[in-house]
Amino acid sequence: MDISWWQILLLTLYAGYQILDELEINSSAGSAVFAGFITGVIMGDVKAGLLIGGSMQLTILGVGTFGGASRIDANSGTVLATAFSVAIGMKPEQAIAAIAVPVASLMIQTDILARFANTYFAHRIDKNIEDFNYSAINRNFLLGNLPWALSRMLPVFLALAFGGGLVTRVVNYLNTDLKWLGDGLAVAGAILPAVGFAILLRYLPVKKHFPYLVLGFTLTALLSTIFTNVQTLGTGLQGVAKGFTGAFNSLPMLAIALIGFGLAAISYKNSLANNNRPSGPSQDSSSANNDEGEIEDDEL
Amino acid sequence: MTNSNEKQNYQLTDADFKQINRRSLFLFQSGWNYERMQNTGYLYLILPQLRKIYGDDTPELKQAMKTHVQFFNTSNFFNTIITGIDLALEEKQGAESLDAVAGIKAGLLGPFAAIGDSLFAALVPTIFGTIAANMAINGNPTGVFIWVLANIFIMVFRWKQLKFAYKEGVNLVTTMQNQMSALTDAATILGVFMVGALVATMINVHIGWQPMLGKVPLDIQNTLDMLMPKILPAGIAGVIYWMLGKKNMTSTRAIFIVLIVSIALSALGIIAK
Repeated sequence: MDISWWQILLLTLYAGYQILDELEINSSAGSAVFAGFITGVIMGDVKAGLLIGGSMQLTILGVGTFGGASRIDANSGTVLATAFSVAIGMKPEQAIAAIAVPVASLMIQTDILARFANTYFAHRIDKNIEDFNYSAINRNFLLGNLPWALSRMLPVFLALAFGGGLVTRVVNYLNTDLKWLGDGLAVAGAILPAVGFAILLRYLPVKKHFPYLVLGFTLTALLSTIFTNVQTLGTGLQGVAKGFTGAFNSLPMLAIALIGFGLAAISYKNSLANNNRPSGPSQDSSSANNDEGEIEDDEL
Repeated sequence: MTNSNEKQNYQLTDADFKQINRRSLFLFQSGWNYERMQNTGYLYLILPQLRKIYGDDTPELKQAMKTHVQFFNTSNFFNTIITGIDLALEEKQGAESLDAVAGIKAGLLGPFAAIGDSLFAALVPTIFGTIAANMAINGNPTGVFIWVLANIFIMVFRWKQLKFAYKEGVNLVTTMQNQMSALTDAATILGVFMVGALVATMINVHIGWQPMLGKVPLDIQNTLDMLMPKILPAGIAGVIYWMLGKKNMTSTRAIFIVLIVSIALSALGIIAK
């Protein structure tokens, strides 16, 4: 059974929609399990779609988009795996390993391309601001949807139109001769958030507050190591000792944020206390900070 | 210009909030880019309101627009909280408030990004994703719709927070004028602290290279861990921070350099994921 043109059209449109949904309204129509469901409906085998989508959903559980980091695109992987699984008659379990996972990790690259492409529109908006060209600002902003949607639509369309043979060939080639490049891109993807953090640090008054940077990093580094090790230990023990049960979670970031909040609150209270001691400060800039003993000016 | 003076007293209406909320829900991240991330999105959301506050073609408007296309990246579930506080300030104090606005944006984006990511990018998808996935594997699509339903509730919450933050922002401006700088300072402390935490958790690479000392391989990563865990991510972030301070260095260039160096170091087997 072949994939007919209207199925290709609908799946391509969905591939474009799902990334925008995930970016903006977030209705969960951009989740892997939804992708499996909708592809199953379009292809006429909801069960296979749900099985593939559900499995992919479990694979990426907890993999959020943190700080603008790219992540594997389980949705496009699910769409293609379901489509080919139903069309060729491949077992769904097999399609997950053979198509869904490799395609999902390949799509990190098109995600990165889209994020690069939008830099171009951001620069055009810089120029539009100089010219007070309001409609152009809106236009150049809205055009940013194009790279996003195309980054998913093009690969999904090409794969569906040219068939599973091409997909497996490309994936095989990338897994053998070009493995170094694939691994390298994965490492680069893991390091790229560091650029975002460095930009953020350039923007924040980091020289003034560097003790808090050191504290935030060190506390989290130590705690996350402990949590990870306990998790490894607990999971390992559960496999060996039968009566041993217990829940082992990873480090909750909210707890870290609360420590940071506490520190910020202390500094806030201290500077308020300093503010109130000399009766009636005339200027805003007179809020001296107790901890660091320096005059604060909010120049940022 | 007498006209622009008049416009400085523009007061936001419910129609304004609706417009911002619509843009936020449907279009906030369309312009996401590597260089300044959600910067154009932030401007797009409030551009009509900025034009009403400052008046078209005024130098104040240009200054405001330039302030808002600086680096910005936070959770798209909490972004309008920052927008609300910002607009309260700008509406009351005009272009004079822009320095404070930039400080508040920088201070709040980090914490809200961390809390928003923990809650909405990790926790909610984990809970509802598990439910939906488990039901789906058994051939039942109900879980998919439960997740959609949960997200509709979250959308309501996203819609409500703008006006709430705006009102709180107005209170902030009127009753807490003296405490503003202390508050801005506390917000930036939280921001800096959280970036430290993000560096320690979100850059997941390690040293893959194990040189042989005679017949014994030297586990460099383990040696580094004994010194200080996560020292490699800290080093990477430090080097990029230093690099960004160099002349003629743009963030786009930095990204390309990081990309190429990462692939090279990975191909040589020095760094692995």
